[in-house]
Amino acid sequence: MRSHETFRVQDAPLRPLLVKELWEILSGRALWTMLLLMCPLIGYSFFQAVSLYGEASAAGLQSPVLAASLSPLDGVLVPTLGASYVAVTLLFPFVAIRVLGQEKESGALRLLVQLPYRSSTLIAAKLAAVLAAWVLSSVPAFSALAIWRMLDGHLFAPETLNLLFGHLLYGLLVGAIALFAASVSESAATAAIVTLAFTIGSWVLDFTVAGHPGVLDWIARLSLTQVLRTFEQGLLSAGLVVGIGTAVCGFSALATVWMPPGVHIRTKLFRSLVCVLAAAIIFGLATQIRFSVDVTEDQRNSFPVADQRVLAKLAEPLVVTIHLAAEDPRYADLQRNVLAKLERVLPNLSIRLAGGRQNLAASTGEDRYGEIEYTYGSRSDISRSTSPREILPLLYGLAEVNPPAPAPGSDYPGYPLVAGGQLTLLWFFCGLPLCIAFACWRSRRLPANHNKLTKEALP
Amino acid sequence: MDGVLHLASPDPPIGRNTPLPVEAACVSEQADDQTLLRVDSINKQYADQVVLANVAFDIHAGEIVGIIGPNGAGKTTVLEVLAGILPAETGDVHWLGRPLPPSLRREAMFYLPDGVRPYQDQPVTRVLSFFADVYRKSADEITNTIQAVGLTPVLHKRVHSLSKGYGRRLLLALGLLTPHALLLMDEPFDGFDLRQIREIVGVLRGEAAMGRTFVLAIHQLLDAERVCDRFILLADGRVRGVGTLNDLRARTGLTSGSLEDIFLALT
Repeated sequence: MRSHETFRVQDAPLRPLLVKELWEILSGRALWTMLLLMCPLIGYSFFQAVSLYGEASAAGLQSPVLAASLSPLDGVLVPTLGASYVAVTLLFPFVAIRVLGQEKESGALRLLVQLPYRSSTLIAAKLAAVLAAWVLSSVPAFSALAIWRMLDGHLFAPETLNLLFGHLLYGLLVGAIALFAASVSESAATAAIVTLAFTIGSWVLDFTVAGHPGVLDWIARLSLTQVLRTFEQGLLSAGLVVGIGTAVCGFSALATVWMPPGVHIRTKLFRSLVCVLAAAIIFGLATQIRFSVDVTEDQRNSFPVADQRVLAKLAEPLVVTIHLAAEDPRYADLQRNVLAKLERVLPNLSIRLAGGRQNLAASTGEDRYGEIEYTYGSRSDISRSTSPREILPLLYGLAEVNPPAPAPGSDYPGYPLVAGGQLTLLWFFCGLPLCIAFACWRSRRLPANHNKLTKEALP
Repeated sequence: MDGVLHLASPDPPIGRNTPLPVEAACVSEQADDQTLLRVDSINKQYADQVVLANVAFDIHAGEIVGIIGPNGAGKTTVLEVLAGILPAETGDVHWLGRPLPPSLRREAMFYLPDGVRPYQDQPVTRVLSFFADVYRKSADEITNTIQAVGLTPVLHKRVHSLSKGYGRRLLLALGLLTPHALLLMDEPFDGFDLRQIREIVGVLRGEAAMGRTFVLAIHQLLDAERVCDRFILLADGRVRGVGTLNDLRARTGLTSGSLEDIFLALT
């Protein structure tokens, strides 16, 4: 007599599910096609970056001052991985959608949801598959970094890892959006449209409304493109990481809510509302986290160490009132050179745009336009400069502290390198695509237990 | 409702942490214990269209029950509601006398939908191994299942390249690899010729003899008559009759009538 044991959710092993998801990703043509398309895209970007860096380095080799401005992060890493960003924005959604969309279209989802796994476990396994797909799709970028090292190029590990971490978070975010889109859409095509609406839509948003004052500026901050900016600047921001993590978890939670077919739409809407509210609360809290680490070798996001130490001791609140329009280039300079650095080091800093965020045309007529007022405790001073060389002494004067002596030997040397990148094109246009084609062919082989099963099953 | 025994159940509903009383799902000598699944008043509609109206019936342990009806009668909807992958407006399902909420149905029964080709880019071996690994089945159990449903010649093929018949066999194999006491199958003989149907009927009979229960949605009345112990006749979303062929003959007065005659008489 057959034993009628049932299989409870907690009994199910996770490994077969993860293996299945991985094979599903590897079996699809989407991943391999994306990889093949990324080879020339990243290869050409890398070649261009190395060539331009080499041209700049030729002058830099003659002058230490020019050399100090040559950073591989800006010159090579960001442009090379920028091509990866384009590919992840435009192509990765199709890979990620397949993880769920294929099962939905073939009807296999109706079998999957009956297996002894929670919906959250199924989505987590799919997100793990998306992560694996991102790692695979980053092979061309990783190979570019390896080639850069072989060319004697310099890589500073913290800033390189930070940039890769940013791209990983961006890939996961796109993947989570794709999973959510696949869970609410009946077909993979619709899911692709929904996901691209997010990725390309926020790209367009970034182009069109960034730099505009008021609500438009707030909307522009929601753009996915903003995710990478901070990492590209060499900052590891806790608030940003928590924010992206929340977005990834939020979209995954929504996918978990919408994936099971046997739940009433009202219940799904209610659960979605709970997810969105929870995510909004965590987002709100994440915006309050100001902790960040400057991981760049040249410490571009920080004042010199001696200044940092003195500024960190300023206990009273500092209020900066800026008489500039938000789209004024001087405001951008001030923000980058001074305010962003002050925000990271001063515990009590308030920044105010005088006259709200009115536009440039309306502001320039004011008498005080261009002034920046610094109020520390009961003392205040005004400056029109956007350079820390002028503003820091002003602040020390307000705080009545002595300016620190500059620390010797802490200058960034710069890493000029004149390297020929012609041969790298051969790798990206021939070698790597051939390796990818071989890996694709190998992934199509029969499973290891096939022969054993066939032999045993033969009568 | 025909064939339905309405009893007030004093037992509490099965909770998420309550083990399903599945050991008792084996064929029992006692008539009362034979009721494995009780379905009460399932109603389902899409917009203004009523798809299922007060559907109710019992399933006994170890039997093969056919849900019989023409296309559009609501057979698939019944199975999907039972399996918990389609929400119903109203309706209760009891497992061995205790209410079984939709979220726990997958622990008691497994549904094999019609027209599904799971994981089309994968070789048959890998799909079978996936299900076997999930349920921790041994190599012997996989081999026995493969032999039982006759999948050996296509183990190396990818699912998308299987013929309709082998696709059905694969789905049946996946169902047999699950440990569930009750298997719900939608049109399990679609795509099979007569010889193949007999072969698969033999497999189902063997499983039923081991204590597994089957509910099959079938629109071919001859196939149904060949394989099923009892029938649930469904038309326009309503149950028109429940019972064995002899029960239905007695009810319609067609003493030597075929299932087709009975169905026409009752609908």
